[in-house]
Amino acid sequence: MNEIEEEPKDFIKLTQEKLSVDEASVLVTSPCCGAISLFIGTTRDNFDGKKVIHLEYEAYTPMAEAEIKKICRDVRKKWPAIKHVAVHHRLGLVPVTEMSVIIAVSSPHRIESLNAVSYCIDTLKATVPIWKKELYEEEYSWKENKECFWTNMEK
Amino acid sequence: GLVLSVVVLYFARSAELAGARSETVSVPQRITSLQLWDEVVKRHSRLAVLRDQVVFAVRQEYVLLGDQLLVLHSGDEVAIIPPISGG
Repeated sequence: MNEIEEEPKDFIKLTQEKLSVDEASVLVTSPCCGAISLFIGTTRDNFDGKKVIHLEYEAYTPMAEAEIKKICRDVRKKWPAIKHVAVHHRLGLVPVTEMSVIIAVSSPHRIESLNAVSYCIDTLKATVPIWKKELYEEEYSWKENKECFWTNMEK
Repeated sequence: GLVLSVVVLYFARSAELAGARSETVSVPQRITSLQLWDEVVKRHSRLAVLRDQVVFAVRQEYVLLGDQLLVLHSGDEVAIIPPISGG
C-alpha cells in the first residue's frame, strides 16, 4: 500500500449540483478505517406552521471554504485519529427533501468519527458564511442559525 | 490621512437592502469597524436596520462592529455578513 495515499485529506465542496452520499462516502473511505460517520441535512417542508416551497442558499464562497478548512483543522486537533473529512454544501435552490449538506468523516474506530461529524455541523452553523432563504407560499425569510457565533455574544 | 479603495461585498439580506452585490468605496486607511459601518450606511441608508445583527469580514476574517481599529490595504475585500444560516 502506497503510504502517500493514506495522508489525511479534507474534501471541501460548495456546488449548485445535487449532492451525493455515495460520492462523499467513497472520498473518505480508507483501508485503515473501520468507521465512516455521516450527517445529511435536507430541506424540510414546513417551518412555524408555514409550508416551505424550497430553500435558496448563497455563500461568500472563498471565505466559506476557508472557514470549513479551519473546522477540519480543529477536528484533527480534537480527534487526531480522524483520517478523512468531507464537507459538501449545496448552493442555489434546494427543493424539499433534497440534501443541502453532507458531512462524512472516517476513523479507525467509531467514537471519533461520530463525535467529529457532530462537531462539524454544529461549528459550520456557527461560523461559515453561508445563508439560506426559506421560500413560503406568500413570503420568504432569511434564516438565522441560533448557533451564529456573534448573535450569541453579550452585547 | 491616507485614503484608499476597498471592495465592499453585500450578502443575503444586506444585498437586498443595498440593492447591490459589490461596490468600490473610498475609505481612510485607518478606521474603526464602527466608522466603516457608518460609511456603508451613508451610501445605503436601508442597511441601518441591520446594525445590531451584522459583522464584517475584512480580508476574510470576521470583525465585530466596534472600536477595533482596522488598517486597510488598497483593494481589500470588506464583506457585510448578516446572521448566517448554513447547514
